[in-house]
Amino acid sequence: MVNFNYNPENKTFTATFVGRMDTLAVEKMNEVMSVNIPLSEGKSKDKIIFDLRDVEYISSSFIRICVSIAKQAGQGQFSIVHCQPFVKKTFKISGLDDILNVT
Amino acid sequence: MSDNLLEKANEILDKAQLAAAEFHQYNQEETDRIVEAVFKAGFKNRVKLAKMAQEETGMGIWEHKVIKNVLGTQLVYESIRNEKTVGVISSDPRTGITEIAQPLGPILAVIPVTNPTSTSMFKILICLKSRNPIIISAHRGAAKSCAETVRICYEAALEAGAPEDCIQMISSGSREFTQLIMGHPKIALILATGGTGLVKAAYSSGNPAIGVGPGNVPVFIDESADIPFAVKNIISSKTFDNGTICASEQAIVVMKTIEQKVRDEFEKQHCYFLDPEEIKKVEKIAIAEESMSMSPGIVGQPVAVIAQKAGIDVPDGTKILLAKLGGIGKEFPLSIEVLAPILAFYSADDYHTAVNMCIDLNYLGGIGHSACIYANDEKRIMEYAGLLNAGRILVNTPTSQGAVGYFYNLLAPSLTLGCGTGGKNITTENNTAKNLINIQRVSRRKPNELWFSHDQSAYYDESLSTDDIMKEYYKNH
Repeated sequence: MVNFNYNPENKTFTATFVGRMDTLAVEKMNEVMSVNIPLSEGKSKDKIIFDLRDVEYISSSFIRICVSIAKQAGQGQFSIVHCQPFVKKTFKISGLDDILNVT
Repeated sequence: MSDNLLEKANEILDKAQLAAAEFHQYNQEETDRIVEAVFKAGFKNRVKLAKMAQEETGMGIWEHKVIKNVLGTQLVYESIRNEKTVGVISSDPRTGITEIAQPLGPILAVIPVTNPTSTSMFKILICLKSRNPIIISAHRGAAKSCAETVRICYEAALEAGAPEDCIQMISSGSREFTQLIMGHPKIALILATGGTGLVKAAYSSGNPAIGVGPGNVPVFIDESADIPFAVKNIISSKTFDNGTICASEQAIVVMKTIEQKVRDEFEKQHCYFLDPEEIKKVEKIAIAEESMSMSPGIVGQPVAVIAQKAGIDVPDGTKILLAKLGGIGKEFPLSIEVLAPILAFYSADDYHTAVNMCIDLNYLGGIGHSACIYANDEKRIMEYAGLLNAGRILVNTPTSQGAVGYFYNLLAPSLTLGCGTGGKNITTENNTAKNLINIQRVSRRKPNELWFSHDQSAYYDESLSTDDIMKEYYKNH
């Protein structure tokens, strides 16, 4: 469902998600995300990237988590990459694609 | 404008927009499952919600509100359940055009005090069917019953897998707050059912709106009509929920030749003709003198209460009060819309005068809404229809139950009746789910032979006449 990878060279933490990010899946992932994602108070030293290449559906609860992590990481430290067009459109409709730096 | 209100509005719209983002990913099957669950929950609570609405508003009759709730749930559901509202909704190989339905986004649904629970359920069903989150704006006089309706529908929707916050509610305690929400950039559409001021505010908000207009429904009983049948139907309509439906009959127009027969029939069927003194007394309590609009205190009240307020004696069991008036307009207050069991009554010397009276009544605050004719003369029916400015011309039909569709005709069941440009609306339709989708049209290349087969250089030659060019254009080699 989610795999984590850290690249010390460019200080980038990547979470790669797979499948449907519905409310149930997000509930299950909550704990593992809070343990694994390196967030500290203030601006994060590491860049955090969510890779959604294998995600076909995102719930509002998943978008809320993205917003929460982006806020904690600080400006310019969070981004979402490799969205399938359908998922990209979902971020557009949410009006949060800019805040979440969706590409 | 206070920061607090703005913050509150932003919070509601942020939630709605997230719900919209999630909802657009649902397929038809998932959408239909939610709509079915909400229909069942609303339908199951039809009696409880009807009683709540009647008790809270003090208007109408709870048994009739049950029927309105049935309209807003079962009948609306029946009419939309098999409609395609997601993805490809039509494809025509001949034209090469494929239509794709897309949701609109957050919809603000303004709910009137006269039909609070039925209109709420109706709007929730059509919004969910079109995958749009809905924000219910309840009239302050019906806030409790609307809140309970929203709670029931929202719980059922969530249980069936709907997005969080797909149904929210605000209470219109503050006009400033309602206007703030109406004009919020995240609102996709306002579905405005209510009075003229409210509908105008919706259209002035800068966001798209589907509104309704006030009615002032004239009923022409032609010489060719079945008079006892006509009177019976008018009574069943005007007494329905004590006349709270805006499509209810407001004035009866007959020709002198049948006046007595019609009067006798009304009296036989327990209606009461007011004398001139009594008319003045009823006018006083039914119409607010300054604004020349109906007094809220008599809306949806039974005849006994109206008679008591007016200080007149009427026989027990009287169903409707009729006032024979000498004209139409401000000098004759009961010629305007009154959502209570009171009817204006007119007698005309001839057919043309009678139809002209109906036109005057129609234009006295009811343009674009509904009109009615009782007749068995097709020529007169069609002539009447062409002369009245009404979205619905109901033939031999009670207008309250006829205009809202399903019971007496095949109009779409709806509690938001479009009144066209006459009523300052964009459509004359009975609004339903299909009015709440954006339709994309995929247009495949189909070169138009007429265009490509003629010499287009002719357009640049000013010496050629229009006839010459058209002849060449339509040349069939």
